[in-house]
Amino acid sequence: MARYLTHRLLLMIPTLLVVAVIIFVLVRVIPGDIVELRLVSGGSFVTASVIEAERARLGLNKPIWRQFVDWMSGLPRFDLGTSMWTAAPIAKEIALRFQLSLQLAIMSTLIAVTLALPLGIAAAVRRGTWVDHVVQILSVAGLATPSFWLGILLLLFLLSNFHWLPPLTFTPLWVNPKANLLQLIWPALAVGYRYSAVTTRMTRSAMLEVLQEDYVRTAWAKGLAQRVIVIRHALRNAMLPVVTVIGLEFAFLIGGLVVTEQVFNLNGIGKLFVDAIARRDYTMIQGLLLLVATVYIVVNFLIELLYVWLDPRVSYG
Amino acid sequence: MPRVYRRQRIWLARFVRRYPLGAAAGIAILGLTALAGLANQLAPYDPLANDFGTMFAAPGARHWFGTDAFGRDVLSRVLYGARTALLVGFAASLVGATIGGIVGVAAAYFGGTTDLIIQRLADIMISFPIIILALAIVAILGSGTFNLIAAIALSFVPRIELVVRASALSVRETTYVEAARAIGARHWRIVFRHMVPNVTAPYLVMLTAFLGQAILLEASLSFLGLGVNEPTPAWGLMLSGAAVEFVQRAPWMAVFPGLAITFTVLAFNVLGDSLRDALDPRLRT
Repeated sequence: MARYLTHRLLLMIPTLLVVAVIIFVLVRVIPGDIVELRLVSGGSFVTASVIEAERARLGLNKPIWRQFVDWMSGLPRFDLGTSMWTAAPIAKEIALRFQLSLQLAIMSTLIAVTLALPLGIAAAVRRGTWVDHVVQILSVAGLATPSFWLGILLLLFLLSNFHWLPPLTFTPLWVNPKANLLQLIWPALAVGYRYSAVTTRMTRSAMLEVLQEDYVRTAWAKGLAQRVIVIRHALRNAMLPVVTVIGLEFAFLIGGLVVTEQVFNLNGIGKLFVDAIARRDYTMIQGLLLLVATVYIVVNFLIELLYVWLDPRVSYG
Repeated sequence: MPRVYRRQRIWLARFVRRYPLGAAAGIAILGLTALAGLANQLAPYDPLANDFGTMFAAPGARHWFGTDAFGRDVLSRVLYGARTALLVGFAASLVGATIGGIVGVAAAYFGGTTDLIIQRLADIMISFPIIILALAIVAILGSGTFNLIAAIALSFVPRIELVVRASALSVRETTYVEAARAIGARHWRIVFRHMVPNVTAPYLVMLTAFLGQAILLEASLSFLGLGVNEPTPAWGLMLSGAAVEFVQRAPWMAVFPGLAITFTVLAFNVLGDSLRDALDPRLRT
């Protein structure tokens, strides 16, 4: 087990290395660079020498391989370089937004899981009844509703009833917990609905499968209480695919909320990414893409660890 | 009806009987396609015509869905927006599923290093959320309807490739593929004549599953200003800017395009679910 884990952890390094190479190439293919965008697009006249000087200052005149080596050599020290737009260190800029995105992701997950598990279990246990139908309709609708549109509707509701507008700045949890939660609960709800729909469907279908197993029939035959059968015997075995879905959705929320963050005026990772693309901020785009891929790979690793804990039969020898 | 279609007709009749919801969704999609196709006849107004005399008009007899910040008729724009949504949805998922399917079959057939490289690339592409991948591709290609289709299609490719490859792996081991190889058939003949037709089920299932996703992605990217360009009527574009800014004054600007998206995606998802259950229940997710 320990050997397998170290092996898996070490394997992440070459994977991330390949990811980094692909990202670097991808970003250089984006047409137009930041210098043109910042100096020329304003319509003002700039001499070629000024443009060249600016490119030299940002290191854009160096050969591509040199830029690549510069970037890669910083990575082991978590040095992602400096933003071409704000000149602040990328790691610092990302850290500022990361706490917002992480908190939003955790809150949405909590909302989704508290909704999805009971609903999914109830639908599976009462298959074919009205409970099942209502849950199915709710989750099919949840998959079809764009989160950002739900966000706009929530805004409309809050504006009309409480004259609430999304605050312009983010209040961290430890500065003012109440203001912080009030700010993030609405986007968390908008995102959480879709998230819970995905999870509910998975819980329902995994439970349906497990409830047909022989050991569940044996449990019934032994005369165990329904609660015990459903929770201890069935749910635990149905959790593997559910945990996978929750993990993957969680990874998606870090950085994937590009649109919902826009609606609620939140300065998260997703908004930073959209801004970075609009500004051709190469170093920032690189850093963010690498972050998103790393989160995904790490979450996948954690899911695998959870498998072992959930199902003792799974062992990575 | 000619005899050749008999099997398909029987299949369709059974599908309608066993999956009435899926059949209803299919009819809804046909209806939507008709609405989109006939938009130029059905739309009461020119979707692009500004009329500053009737800005923010509430829904009523003259404008059923109200008007927007430029006095444009929201109903007409929703109808024309259906064209954009369906065009992008169908084109992107068709292109994405086809490329993904062919690559998946090829990877399974050739195996070895080819397969290994393709799988590693697919794994890496999958480690980015679809929307991030699509955004990055749009940034490279530039915005606009055609580039948007390409970006969405490309970001679907690895996801579809993985599923089709898994099915193709078992097809590769069948006796008929072995027989084809034994009589000296060429690679491309085995791939296209023998393997591709036998992975149509997962191909179709993935295609319909991604149709709704493509429409959601189109709306999201257009909302960000990185998809369809103004003034082309598109649901995502209609939701951005003024619709959010004036949501209290003119809620119909935000409500109707959003309903259109939800309804369309819902229809595609329901049809997709039924089709999956009918064609290949193993793909249940």
